[in-house]
Amino acid sequence: MIMSPRLHKFVLTAHITSSVGWLGSVAGFLVLAVAGLTSQDSQLIRAAYLAMELVASFVIVPLSLASLLTGLVQALGTKWGLFRHYWIVFKLVINIASSLLLLVHMQPITHLADIAARTTLARGDYFLMRVQLVADATYAVVALLVATTLSVYKPRGMTRYGWSKQRKQRMVSQP
Amino acid sequence: MTEEDTRMADLTSYPDKRNDTGVGPNHGSTYRTPRWVKVFGIILIVALVLVFLVQHLVFEGMGGHMP
Repeated sequence: MIMSPRLHKFVLTAHITSSVGWLGSVAGFLVLAVAGLTSQDSQLIRAAYLAMELVASFVIVPLSLASLLTGLVQALGTKWGLFRHYWIVFKLVINIASSLLLLVHMQPITHLADIAARTTLARGDYFLMRVQLVADATYAVVALLVATTLSVYKPRGMTRYGWSKQRKQRMVSQP
Repeated sequence: MTEEDTRMADLTSYPDKRNDTGVGPNHGSTYRTPRWVKVFGIILIVALVLVFLVQHLVFEGMGGHMP
């Protein structure tokens, strides 16, 4: 089904906004994770983990789901399709993998925020968990930068499915 | 269907209009996977394996998520 131009513009705006917002909010999360890991100030460490849970729950998760949903609508509602072009397939894989990684790692984020709310975290406490949050945020920033680059450059290359579809359409239109 | 309707995230037209297969003209009868796809796919697989190994061998192997 092909969308009307007006609907297409709306979904495109929502997709760009949610995707770029997701990247920006993960970058902010990474800064908080690094501050929480390296700071000497116990109040700053506490504030960082409390803020990280809020940002993850109310900004990053909704934006990631919105980006995935609007991307699916955008692909399926235009001639681009979901599996016709390699760059769209790669973006889909990156988006799903990043969303899953985020949802799976909400548990340590919530756990650290709970601890930070109840007690003062010293620099070395829960060290591995805190390093893991820095690593997760770094993976996500890199993955989302790659996805953004793919969206802008749209490197040429059709999948076998897209290629055969295009050939069939050509044969129908040029008998 | 207008040209505007086929755009995605920028002003580039739908690739039908730029003769896109990634391997040259679309009129050939054999399909070939573009080189960038193979390189990108290998990098993606290696990155995913590394992330998995770091997550499960380093972090979980040294104490897991929970204290």
